[in-house]
Amino acid sequence: MNTLSVSLNKFRRTPAFTGFVLFVIALLMNILMQGINSGKPLAFFNPNSYSSLLMTNAPFILTAMAQSLLLIVGLLDISIGIQLALVNVVCIMVPQELGVPIWVGWLCAMGASLLISAMVGACSAVLRLPAMLVGYAFIFIVKGINVAIMSKPQGKVPREIYLPYQNPVAGVLPIALLVLLAVFGLWLLIKRRPLGKHLYAVGGNPRNAYAAGISPVKVQMQANLLKGFIVGIGGICLTLMNASGNPLQAEDYGLRSLIACILGGLGFGGWGSMACGVFGASFFVLIQNTVYHFFSYLTKVISGFAASTYWQNLVSDIILLLGLLVTIITAKEQRKTLKEGLLKQFKGGAARDKQ
Amino acid sequence: MRGISKHYGAVQALKEASLSIQAGRITALLGSNGSGKSTLVKVLAGLVNPNAGTIMMDGREVNIRSGNDAQALGISTAFQDLSLVPMMTVEDNLLLGNEPRTETGMINRAESRRIVRELMARFAIRCSPQDYVQSLPPSTQSMLEIAKAVHRNPRVLLLDEATAALHLDEIEVLFDILRGLKQQGLSIVFVTHRMHEVFELCDEAVIMRGGETVISGPVSSFTLDDLVFHMTGQRMARAAGSEAPEPGQEEGTAVLEVKNLCLPPRVRDVSLTARAGEIIGIGGLEGQGQADFMRAVLGAQQKTGGSIRFLGQETDFPQPAQAVRAGMGFISGERNREAMFPDRTIAENLFAGSAVLGSRFRFLSRKTVRRFSEDAVKTYRIKIGSLKDAASTLSGGNQQKLVIARWIAVHPKLLLLDDPTKGVDIHSRQEIHQILRESAQNGMAVVISASDTDELLEIAQRVYVFYEGKVAGVLQGDGKTQEAMVSLMMGLANSQAEAISPLSLEEQP
Repeated sequence: MNTLSVSLNKFRRTPAFTGFVLFVIALLMNILMQGINSGKPLAFFNPNSYSSLLMTNAPFILTAMAQSLLLIVGLLDISIGIQLALVNVVCIMVPQELGVPIWVGWLCAMGASLLISAMVGACSAVLRLPAMLVGYAFIFIVKGINVAIMSKPQGKVPREIYLPYQNPVAGVLPIALLVLLAVFGLWLLIKRRPLGKHLYAVGGNPRNAYAAGISPVKVQMQANLLKGFIVGIGGICLTLMNASGNPLQAEDYGLRSLIACILGGLGFGGWGSMACGVFGASFFVLIQNTVYHFFSYLTKVISGFAASTYWQNLVSDIILLLGLLVTIITAKEQRKTLKEGLLKQFKGGAARDKQ
Repeated sequence: MRGISKHYGAVQALKEASLSIQAGRITALLGSNGSGKSTLVKVLAGLVNPNAGTIMMDGREVNIRSGNDAQALGISTAFQDLSLVPMMTVEDNLLLGNEPRTETGMINRAESRRIVRELMARFAIRCSPQDYVQSLPPSTQSMLEIAKAVHRNPRVLLLDEATAALHLDEIEVLFDILRGLKQQGLSIVFVTHRMHEVFELCDEAVIMRGGETVISGPVSSFTLDDLVFHMTGQRMARAAGSEAPEPGQEEGTAVLEVKNLCLPPRVRDVSLTARAGEIIGIGGLEGQGQADFMRAVLGAQQKTGGSIRFLGQETDFPQPAQAVRAGMGFISGERNREAMFPDRTIAENLFAGSAVLGSRFRFLSRKTVRRFSEDAVKTYRIKIGSLKDAASTLSGGNQQKLVIARWIAVHPKLLLLDDPTKGVDIHSRQEIHQILRESAQNGMAVVISASDTDELLEIAQRVYVFYEGKVAGVLQGDGKTQEAMVSLMMGLANSQAEAISPLSLEEQP
């Protein structure tokens, strides 16, 4: 019991705690709203329900995990979403055009993802170009490559390949969850190796990491390659989910994954962990699902009520904004600053009034 | 190291500098700010690649192009500006780049914990291994920096102003460790601005000026005057007001009257009076509430109790802006964090104090700014290239003079200085003291805190010694001695303080 309380206190001090709080709130809201909407209180726990939610959103969660790795090391990549589409395009087109087995296509797709990540990494880590500009430029470069390989949405994945991904193992365990756990396990493994410490050191202060005998360029390149690997897995999940190819999909994942990481408690450079990305992205996904069920319920109970996706997006975006506020309030230091700032404003105002 | 040269554009940081060190000897590397000491240390540490020169170890030429090269040769450095990663824990920082591993390449956590425990005990570092470095006081961070360097088991240990932020007790621990390492045959290069440390600890001295090595030899062959002469090219001017004016010469009007000020947990029940023309010192070990006290007076932190009277008026400034407009100036020793705009020009930095006074929308001509800055540079003897140069191009001492000039030039009634000469060389320090004395003679009240006790005893008329957020005693007149100061700083009984300074009683609540 004592150990549990110590662990809990330790967890409360981590940056991921903020994301965890948001995740739990969103999960409870989702369970409640889905139960009300379907008339079955435990509808969320239906394997098909959570399985479908995970399957659909695993690529986004993986993108946020990849982005969190970059943020830890002091970089970012807003072209990460369109890179997911590149993996999808290569997965579909290589077997289709060259007649090679599917797994060869997947290997090529993984190679493409690593290559693009290495190029992005070289621009930002070696050439020291601003990461935001590099990401922006690569959105168009990768989009061009995607369209050159696949001019319009097309292709298919054999049924025997995508069905296992879309259906839970033994009726309860979604493959997408196993993939997410495997990637998170990989992160835990990295964290317990010197490379994990070096990622944080370079993100926290590259000059000081250099003084400690660590090569920031090498570490940032390694982070980019790891990101490429995770994006490769995310792209394969996207392909299995859609069972077809689309060269221009998932572009918005770039910015959304950044927001998810910040929501999850990640700072820019050396602060936070991949768990922040997971919690932030899950919060994002669960809020959207909750809002969908909320509007669906309103449609049922109010005759003639209809709300377009724009309204749904408006509501979910407002909740996300509130989530950001919760991030500030939950993070101790930020909460202290906010409190001091508010007090100062009030006190300052009062003092000025007196004068 | 022979003929080491390094230039950054037109600026020559090192001009054929040389440094020779021997096993089992501690070599003091001395010089004014901007003399090239830190650059020479960084060359040896692999952080700066020289344009010319050779480095020899054990009689053979070595090539140091990176931190890794230096470490491979057994050279370890504790940097002046610290190489710790603030957002990592103490444990992670101490072992960074040198993590013990298991056979599978994972970090050996049990071994890590053992090493860290031992290191922290050896260096008397009082914090948790899981504390984030950014949450620790500067002195603890400095000790961690040194412990990290020593942990690498180097053959050559470079300590660049390692003691600048350390307390007396920590310096004693460090010196004991360094003497032990010396016995083990380690070569130590010790960079410091505190001359008494050179005579206490070092065997050899190498003195640099203007990027060149001007002289080297056994410490025993130098006097303090010699060291200062070789560092600055001038003999020490003892007569130039090195003694603080004695109290009671002329009772000025009270500029600042603080009564029972509270700012928990750092400041508890502090009372202090500063009169026009006085220099008041605030001493104590670091983190005893001095910095918070200053910031509470300035309005940067809000007091929870007590009163502050400034120029006879009860005040409670909500922000420093109001305090500055009312006639206060504040100078922090944390130049980069709290005082300088490093990328802006010298002229803009000098004018920053004036700029906040008067209307926000008044017209400011370039001529006004230039004239003000030229006057300040001339009056306060700041060595600059051009007024248009970035402030970061100045040496540490001149940067600090720039910040002081900024405030004194606008003639505040009260000047608060929080450790203003930290990391400033002896010559610049003397010049800063002279500026403060002249300002006090012109009727300004000066309140100065300093980590260096000698400095306070030299410049201040009265010294309020802080201990655990309270004034442990006030030293003045004949009671203003090093021994009295140290005993109050260490929290020894007040009765002792009374014996030292009976006048302290009337100041206490």
